[in-house]
Amino acid sequence: MAGMNKLQTLLGDPSTLLRVKSGKPFFMAHMIAGYRSDSESEQVAQALVKGGADIIELQIPFSDPMADGPTIAVASEDALKAGATVAKSLELLKKVAAFGKPVAVMSYTNPVFRYGIPKFVKTIADAGASALIVPDCPFDTEEGQALIAACKENNICFIPVVSPGVPEERLKQLASAGGGSSSGGKDLLGFVYCTSRQGITGATSKFAKDLADFATLAKRVFNLPLAVGFGVKSKEDVQSLAKIADIVIAGSVFVDAIKASGIGTVEKTIREIIQTE
Amino acid sequence: MSEKHTYGGAYVPEMLWETLQKLDAEFENAKKDTAFKSEFENLLKNYSGRPTPLIFAARATEELGGAKIYLKNEGANHTGAHKITHCLGQALIAKRLGKKMLIADTGAGQHGVATATVAAKLGFSCKIFMGRIDMERQRPNVFLMERLGATVVPVEYGTKTLKDAVNEALKFWMENLDEAYFVIGSVVGPKPYPSMNRYFQSVISREIRAQLQEREGKPPDVVVACVGGGSNAMGSFDDFIHEKSVQLIGVEAGGRGKKLGEHASRVLSGAEGIFQGYKSLFLQTEDGQIAPTHSISAGLDYPGIGPELANLHAEGRVELTYATDDEAVAAVDFFAKLEGVISALESAHALAHVQKIAPKMPKDSIIVATLSGRGDKDLFNFARAFKDESFREFLKDEYGRYE
Ligand SMILES: Cc1ncc(COP(=O)(O)O)c(C=O)c1O
Repeated sequence: MAGMNKLQTLLGDPSTLLRVKSGKPFFMAHMIAGYRSDSESEQVAQALVKGGADIIELQIPFSDPMADGPTIAVASEDALKAGATVAKSLELLKKVAAFGKPVAVMSYTNPVFRYGIPKFVKTIADAGASALIVPDCPFDTEEGQALIAACKENNICFIPVVSPGVPEERLKQLASAGGGSSSGGKDLLGFVYCTSRQGITGATSKFAKDLADFATLAKRVFNLPLAVGFGVKSKEDVQSLAKIADIVIAGSVFVDAIKASGIGTVEKTIREIIQTE
Repeated sequence: MSEKHTYGGAYVPEMLWETLQKLDAEFENAKKDTAFKSEFENLLKNYSGRPTPLIFAARATEELGGAKIYLKNEGANHTGAHKITHCLGQALIAKRLGKKMLIADTGAGQHGVATATVAAKLGFSCKIFMGRIDMERQRPNVFLMERLGATVVPVEYGTKTLKDAVNEALKFWMENLDEAYFVIGSVVGPKPYPSMNRYFQSVISREIRAQLQEREGKPPDVVVACVGGGSNAMGSFDDFIHEKSVQLIGVEAGGRGKKLGEHASRVLSGAEGIFQGYKSLFLQTEDGQIAPTHSISAGLDYPGIGPELANLHAEGRVELTYATDDEAVAAVDFFAKLEGVISALESAHALAHVQKIAPKMPKDSIIVATLSGRGDKDLFNFARAFKDESFREFLKDEYGRYE
């Protein structure tokens, strides 16, 4: 049996699910590989880790990111123009993983499919990743099944992405994707990524009205830590989500910061957002 | 059925799962509902103007010296192309689902104009997403959509063309699932869109069969149609798919060269991929990035091909080929002079292929080519392609008349 990966170790701590009660969720910081260049993105990762990120979400840029708003879509495009490739992103992943925090790799189905699903998953595992997020690949497709099998084999968590409005029936199907939370499912899925509303990433903090109820439902169905992201851009956003989330995710806000004043501001930005005093 | 080539599916974020389930169920119900069918047929007949004529191209047939050539004139439809058919069908489904707004992507603006037209006719609000570059190239259609009451939203990122307009429409949809219905403009997208749009467009092939039966007493030997996403092709082929004696040929955009980025032909250099909700053949890089495309006809300038068509191609039932930009322009001219038909540049790709195959076929054989649209919309493109000096002068003068 494979040992626990870094993410499982982090979340496996018995105090994890108590984080919500104490109002101090983990923080997953999102970044784009190769934005604005390979070397800059390595520094961004370092700044995010120094600034207090518990988990790094590393997005491998894709030409047509359907779940991303203009901020991340344009940044992905810029990264590709600057020469980002899947191979280079995977090199960067090694360096980012070496900073010590668990890394979740995020991309879209096509680049992963083209690379070859088993090979892709093995490569990210070898590079030190703990989890994989592919928002446009439902688990009940042929490729979703292949991803699940490869993730199980390589001890990578395959993170389901859900949104307020997804019916309970579907949540149950997703929860049982890894063979049920009582068996391998819990280890396979790691945590549930819940978008704060229906729609796309981006720096507008309009959370769904029914987010809290949906979060409760999702936690009950999955019995897993719950991460909430999309539109998180301020300390206030983090604090309001702290009431329902075990993990809070932000991404576009760092792209905006880099755009406005360069990578030097990333560490300050994350510190400002996650301070809970 | 081969395991390897089952294109299609629904590769979308979970937030779309329920919406697609409901759409699928509603479409299945609608197919069994005679009231739905008669409302659809009534709109096709009394609004769009069906059945469209099947033209015997007598002079072109004589000139080419081989097979008898018939043109199925979808350009006779209201708004000038076959697109209105699946817009009407989908709008009726949207009504049944209680939606208030139709949204759509558009490249050349044809699908946008058809959607805006149907929205106006059936009382929906309407938002059309269009790449900034396409808006600049296709100003007349933007103008028409706005006159029809639609809001045209420019897409400012990516290649700023059709595929980005599709992305943006998808994103808006995900943010407005309760209110909005996404009218997809071809036999592409997640399940059930490809089969639904084929179902609506299949009227083309049934009319071809009936009209030809009356005129020739037999089915065609070959049916040829241009292929962007594949809606006019699937519509033209549908009723003949199980009739193996009928050869089915789809013609893609060969553009101006064979290198990636110079054309929009998946048969030239498409590879299996998963994009915009479906699995099919796509023009893409080694790295799985969607590649830029080129075609003189905006309607064929798209990286993907409908999954059902890709399956039929993989099974060997449908032949896919391509015609170049220059061949398409020459075909417009050929059929304009001989038949008094000015074809859309998209459809001209099918006509160019007819010019290639007709001379080699026996005189008692029959080709039906689908003329998916009429050429009015391409006025500016034609004038430029023919380097028409007087048109340039006209544009200058027209500018002056605005002052
Ligand atoms: C006249 C015409 N023909 C063909 C097409 C290509 O679409 P499809 O392959 O779905 O028929 C278009 C698309 O805009 C069009 O306007």
